[in-house]
Amino acid sequence: MPGPREIFVRIDRCMGCHSCELACAVEHSKNKSLYNAISEHPQPKKRIYVERADTQACVPVLCRHCEEAPCMHACICGAISRNKEGVVLTDSGKCIGCWTCVMVCPYGVIGRHLETHKSYRCDRCPDRDIPACVDACPTHALIYHTVEDFSQGVRKDTARQMTAGQGG
Amino acid sequence: MSASKRRYVIIGGGAAGMAATTAIREQDRLGSIVVISEEQDMPYFRPMIPFLISGKKAEADMALAGRGPYQAEGIHIRTGVRVIRVEPEAHQVYVTGGEKVPYDKLLIASGSLPNIPADIKGVEAEGVFALRTLDDARKAALRAKKGGHVIMLGGGMLNLKTAFSLLERGLDVSLVVHSPQVLSQLMEPEDAALIRKALDMAGLKILTGCNAERIISDKDGVTSVALTNGMEIPCRMVFIGKGVLPNVDFLSNGPVHIDHGVVVNQYTATNVPDIHAAGDVAATFDPATGKMIVAGLWTNAVEMGRCAGNNMAGNVTRYGGAFGIQNATQVADVPFVSMGVVHTKGNDFETHTAESYGSYRRLVFSPDGTRLAGAVFVRDISRAGLYRFLIREAMDIGRIKAQIIDHKLHYGHFVCSPLAKGG
Repeated sequence: MPGPREIFVRIDRCMGCHSCELACAVEHSKNKSLYNAISEHPQPKKRIYVERADTQACVPVLCRHCEEAPCMHACICGAISRNKEGVVLTDSGKCIGCWTCVMVCPYGVIGRHLETHKSYRCDRCPDRDIPACVDACPTHALIYHTVEDFSQGVRKDTARQMTAGQGG
Repeated sequence: MSASKRRYVIIGGGAAGMAATTAIREQDRLGSIVVISEEQDMPYFRPMIPFLISGKKAEADMALAGRGPYQAEGIHIRTGVRVIRVEPEAHQVYVTGGEKVPYDKLLIASGSLPNIPADIKGVEAEGVFALRTLDDARKAALRAKKGGHVIMLGGGMLNLKTAFSLLERGLDVSLVVHSPQVLSQLMEPEDAALIRKALDMAGLKILTGCNAERIISDKDGVTSVALTNGMEIPCRMVFIGKGVLPNVDFLSNGPVHIDHGVVVNQYTATNVPDIHAAGDVAATFDPATGKMIVAGLWTNAVEMGRCAGNNMAGNVTRYGGAFGIQNATQVADVPFVSMGVVHTKGNDFETHTAESYGSYRRLVFSPDGTRLAGAVFVRDISRAGLYRFLIREAMDIGRIKAQIIDHKLHYGHFVCSPLAKGG
């Protein structure tokens, strides 16, 4: 049986347009439209970060929903748990804003909402079939696949490159 | 080994003990798990107890079962039961009431007890608290209803959190600190300056450089505290926040090796077969300093408890050590993170400090400058976990050092950066 789908990042395809960030913030706004989102309070927040590592490379960074999630175990009030689909979620009702999760996340992808004094992170867009960031990515640098499908894709790409390299 | 169900016994229903139960259940669906807890209450999130005093959270909000990762089933929790001694030859623990509880694998996770300095007289008076358990908080909340002035002895995290809970209730609070600055365990005095300013603004009175000598009381409890500087301050409540000591008394005269805390190896095992230890009670090592420590802290205890649970259930897991210092919190609207080596006076660690727009940071590198050893972030604590990772793994930071010093590090640097190519 295939596992649940996850968001994969193909760094070589990212051109740093930040469309994913915008789509993420809009998806996490009250009425999900860019024009209204801008003036909303508390301000809607993106949960994906397109970082520039050097002049060439852009890296979209987002919550990996780690198998051994440090944030979930470190949380001092039980606000972070994993749902059936494997998504690690922060319950903002329970969050007390102690920022322990921020201190232990090795990816640096847990945000602090200063207006609400709560932490936030990728929730894989529970209201959508395809997460907003993936939908918005024009180059398919972000894709939503099962681990099996993703690795099969990588194998196929590699095979194609190798046969092309043989002058076929 | 026989196919019969393995019997796991956990002494202590705190962070380490309960994290162990979850880890055991992930590995072993059939074994019986019994938690023996001295407290009358079912396990709860201990760091939340100051919120009971402020009224920000109710008792029910602090219950551990069913929250966060604590979803495991079939865990038998026996509250109000105290372990009198461990009998390793018979593989059993002797508890109050004379009952003997047999085990195949035992975890000592009895936690710690408040350190009450012997040189303070009159600590037994009513209205003197060392906040440790939910029941302590319950009693403190009740007494706080009467109002009046409160004196906090000690300038650590627990006392600061509690002080704010009391301030929120409208009480007058004074903090008496032996050191020249608050949070002296977690940072250097200059690091704490911004926090100190915020505490002053929030209305917390702070007396530094002095100690309590004597707590004075009458039939209704505390009336005042006499300080070493000659002052006597009237008050209705006193909180002692002077750290904790490992709860090991029930192990004295037994075979389990104790050196301050219960000594364990890198696989959380004690010197006695089938007995592990984790959490505040265990003596372990700090990866940042390499020294033996008794760590304390919820985050450490959970990590170590999970590791111990895995080892007990046969999933051999090496423990990476406990940070003596790894704190994140927010006091008086100022968030801060402090981790690893932060005290650099009188040693040759390379340090970089910067202050701008009301935020402050100190990055501490190994003397040869190749590894990150510690970090303090005040106000801007973003991506602190990346820095913690570098400290913990003692990674050669090579060409990302500039980004670390500037607090500009992000995960992208790990993925496709000079570090990956050069390191």
